[in-house]
Amino acid sequence: MTSVSIRIAGANGDGVESSGALLMKVAARNGLHAFGYRGYQSIIRGGHVWYQIRISDSKLRSHGEGIDILIALNQDAITNQKSHLNSNAVIIYDPSKVKVNELDAAKFKLAAVPLLDIAIEVSGDPIMRNVVALGSALRFVGVDIAAFNDVLKKMFSRKGDKVVESNVKAAERGYNCAGVSTLYGIKGDGKQRYAMDGNTALSIGAYASGCKFYAAYPMTPASSILHWFASHEDKGVMPKQTEDEIAAINMTIGAASAGARAMCGTSGGGFSLMVEGLGLAGMVEAPIVVVESQRSGPSTGLPTKTEQADLLFVMHASQGEFPRIVVAPRSVEESFVIASNAFNLAERYQCPVVMMMDLFLSEHVETIDQPNLDAVTIDRGKIVTEQKEQGRFKRYLITDDGVSPRSLPGTKGLEFVAGSDEHDEVGDLVSDAFSGIDWAVDVRNKMHSKRMRKMETMLRNEKGMFVPHIDADGDYYLVTFGSTAGVAMEAVEILRSKGRRAGLISFNYIMPLDEEATRKALEGKKLINVEGNYTGQLAQVIRLNTGIKIDSHILRYDGEAFTGEWIASEAMKIMG
Amino acid sequence: MMIMSDAQNANPAAKPRQVFTSGVKPIFCPGCGDFGVLAGLQKALQELGIEKERVVIVSGIGCSSSMPHPFSTYGVHSLHGRLLPVAAGVKLANNDLTVIGTGGDGDGYGIGVGHLIHTARRNIDLTYIIMNNEIYGLTTGQASPTSLVGAKTKTTPFGSIETPENPTGIALAAGATYVARAFSGDPMHMAQLIKGGIEHKGFAIIDVFSPCVTFNDLNTFDWFRKRVYKLEQVGHDSTSISAAMERSLEAEKTNWDKIPIGLFYKVDRPTYSDLDMTLKNGPLVKQPAPSKQQVLDILEEYK
Repeated sequence: MTSVSIRIAGANGDGVESSGALLMKVAARNGLHAFGYRGYQSIIRGGHVWYQIRISDSKLRSHGEGIDILIALNQDAITNQKSHLNSNAVIIYDPSKVKVNELDAAKFKLAAVPLLDIAIEVSGDPIMRNVVALGSALRFVGVDIAAFNDVLKKMFSRKGDKVVESNVKAAERGYNCAGVSTLYGIKGDGKQRYAMDGNTALSIGAYASGCKFYAAYPMTPASSILHWFASHEDKGVMPKQTEDEIAAINMTIGAASAGARAMCGTSGGGFSLMVEGLGLAGMVEAPIVVVESQRSGPSTGLPTKTEQADLLFVMHASQGEFPRIVVAPRSVEESFVIASNAFNLAERYQCPVVMMMDLFLSEHVETIDQPNLDAVTIDRGKIVTEQKEQGRFKRYLITDDGVSPRSLPGTKGLEFVAGSDEHDEVGDLVSDAFSGIDWAVDVRNKMHSKRMRKMETMLRNEKGMFVPHIDADGDYYLVTFGSTAGVAMEAVEILRSKGRRAGLISFNYIMPLDEEATRKALEGKKLINVEGNYTGQLAQVIRLNTGIKIDSHILRYDGEAFTGEWIASEAMKIMG
Repeated sequence: MMIMSDAQNANPAAKPRQVFTSGVKPIFCPGCGDFGVLAGLQKALQELGIEKERVVIVSGIGCSSSMPHPFSTYGVHSLHGRLLPVAAGVKLANNDLTVIGTGGDGDGYGIGVGHLIHTARRNIDLTYIIMNNEIYGLTTGQASPTSLVGAKTKTTPFGSIETPENPTGIALAAGATYVARAFSGDPMHMAQLIKGGIEHKGFAIIDVFSPCVTFNDLNTFDWFRKRVYKLEQVGHDSTSISAAMERSLEAEKTNWDKIPIGLFYKVDRPTYSDLDMTLKNGPLVKQPAPSKQQVLDILEEYK
């Protein structure tokens, strides 16, 4: 596998992100694999931002450690990024704006391209300097300029021929600039792919499975899901920006109770506000999907940085006990698959499903193949439209599998009240007037057991779902969950290339957990726990469920995303 | 029950009369103002003749929030202060339903007041009945957001020092399109205001003085009877928001000597459902999942 990492660095407002997105599209449309991740701060103008795109001839699972080509849009880009430059890295810069004397000229290839002059000359617009720089970068990578021009034409055709023409001209000038030459020569396989981030894949997965309603209050890194639903309102989905996350989850419960497939989403801070609502969904057995895209906490934490420290919180959020499903997609592709399945699980078991994302998975852009749309099925569970027995409808009928028949408002003869208080089979409360009386104690026992039984039913019915995946065998196994699984796989490949027999065990459907299958998968193996938090939360879950204690940990909580190289080098210290 | 049989006699309707009672006994104390609201809402629903399966009564937590249970309609007895978002979610998912919110002053003017403002400004087509007893009843008598200055409660044994909230004023400022106030001691008048609220297309709020006979010995039935007067008897212009706001301030200005009840304000404005793009194709619950081709079309954006 050959790969090259390009990092565009500048200030907010320099067009860093749109340049990165443009490069991702070039790769996706030309049979290349690419992985993009950005670094930014909670500031609208200024600050120091970067977008790193790694391009390869085979599937990538991280943006990579270090920079092969740096597009330095300002002086900060040199100062802040020089420590990340790989040896022989190329630095593309405008000599009129950026001085490179702090770099050792012998160690790098310095490509002085008059970005601004060219931009002004071809279009009169200084922002076009980014296109010039991308032209130069693609020449170094070895991507044909025609491929770049195709994307520019597609992207700007709506803005008229003149805009297209000046973009193409800017790209060609950068591509052909003196001092710019091909260094890598990465070739694509000619297969067009999609370029999208985890939140987009999740949104499309939800849409495909009939999700009609999405409620949220803006919060990084979940906001882009709300943006997705808002920009696809004309496709038959309803986005609802609410006054707070409390309203978001309660509206979602209302919409789901009325019969629409409904979802809400937030990050850890907003999820904290949703907690009481999560319990309501558990109690009234409302099928909702909640996205929790984690960022560095606690409190406001690092709003634009990643972490996986909310696992135990999500698994235990809310007072009391109720059935819930906690899932953590391991990749962009799996964000689509799990989102589309989440609604089936929610409706089949009439309980909340929480999808754990994180900033890294929500925001990094990857080239992916077409999702398997034939695998998207819709199962709405035990929705009924009539009942055979006489008398009031038993919405909370005590059943062996714990799942009761469910009616939707508008259905004649099956009216019921869904109560957040403890209730009997028809939904009448036992809490206010009767709790403590013998028969009411019995109702509570039976109703609570009925709900909790759904956890056992899930494990029994969804064979092979709530289990760890042995992705690779080895002498040592990295053990991880969610978004870190992909990067850990890359670490496994690096370790193997260095002669270490490393394996990988990863978790995606984490709660309920099949204890037996988990014990079988982990028992007797040398395990290294890899997680984006301080306390090794997955390791705690494993220990609680199986008694297996993992003693080796690779933990990261500095806000930066894992890379394969970083995990591999930490693993080497443990493996010796 | 008196009221319902009265209505039956007065109006031998063409439609077969529906029974809106589930048989569940309310938890209210004997003499509680909430009995009047229960009767008023039963009467309004019967007069309107809406099929009971199309009615969803959503409540929060508190004495008055047990309201859905005596009804044979659909209902959600949700969380303290959260009935409005739940009700809005039901309505947005299926705008064929008649959605009614019922709760108390602690629920709606205290912990949930933020939702009141936002649901009002969105003009979501709901009817929200707040049983305002100026006290926390179910938690045994603490001060509420509408407790008067000087009110002695368990949490204000030396008298409340906080200015009470002005519910109709807040609703008007927030953009509610139907603002009314009723008194549980006059259930016939209240039933008409509730009926008007349900018939109104948009967010309707009815603040109901519903005395707590156990924990509030200040704002009693008698106390209200001496002070309330009906807006319709004094030529109030309910199309004027300025006049409505003026009336909203009256109780406070007169040191609670004169308290108007009746319809403060009503205006026709497009509802959220009228304006929402998605609902142009019918209720959300009736819209099918996308076809494979529709998903492929969306994926195309990412090539």
